Amino acid sequence: MKATLEVINQMQADGVIGQYAIGGAVGATFYLEPVATLDIDVFVSLQKAPGSALVSLAPIYGYLTARGFKVEQEYIVIGGWPVQFLPPGNALIEEALNQAVETEVEGVRTRVMTAEHLAAIALQTGRAKDAARLLQFIESGTLDADKLDGILRRHGLVAKWEQFGDKFRSNE
Amino acid sequence: MRKILESKATTRKRLATLPISEKVKLLEQLRDRALAIANSPLKRRQVHPG
Repeated sequence: MKATLEVINQMQADGVIGQYAIGGAVGATFYLEPVATLDIDVFVSLQKAPGSALVSLAPIYGYLTARGFKVEQEYIVIGGWPVQFLPPGNALIEEALNQAVETEVEGVRTRVMTAEHLAAIALQTGRAKDAARLLQFIESGTLDADKLDGILRRHGLVAKWEQFGDKFRSNE
Repeated sequence: MRKILESKATTRKRLATLPISEKVKLLEQLRDRALAIANSPLKRRQVHPG
């Protein structure tokens, strides 16, 4: 993963991407026990293409394929890891990207979403694996309740959180 | 059963507190295992039950 992060940092230094943050299962691993995952989700801030209201991942693909990295479906394989570059699709992910924390992996600096943002994104996304991840976060005791509460309120997730709690308690 | 669950919880806690470099190694091992399982003939049989 060290090689993967070095390439992503170089992309940032070269201006291909702006701020970035690791999310998904790999992001959660910074706070929880590792779980099997095939890819790394990297959320990136991107410039809009000139004259367009849309952001484009084309500069990322162009930069990496020009350096010999292989595209596999929606991933680009960097340092042996399939990496998925994702623009923030909503205000919650935008905030998670902006408030990500700086850390190091094997001496390489990187940014990772906070545990509370990862938990809120899991709640919002709502797939079975997201529910499992959210339960892991809750059980681990790593979440700052006040911080999570603020995120849930800002992004309209309080009712969903309560529903999740009801469902969880009913399965106990 | 209680002992098994406690043991699992202890293991999970221990894994969660490992340094990230150790966790990354475990992630890579888990990924390799997941890929090996995904490529196994049994898995293919499940995908195409016939």
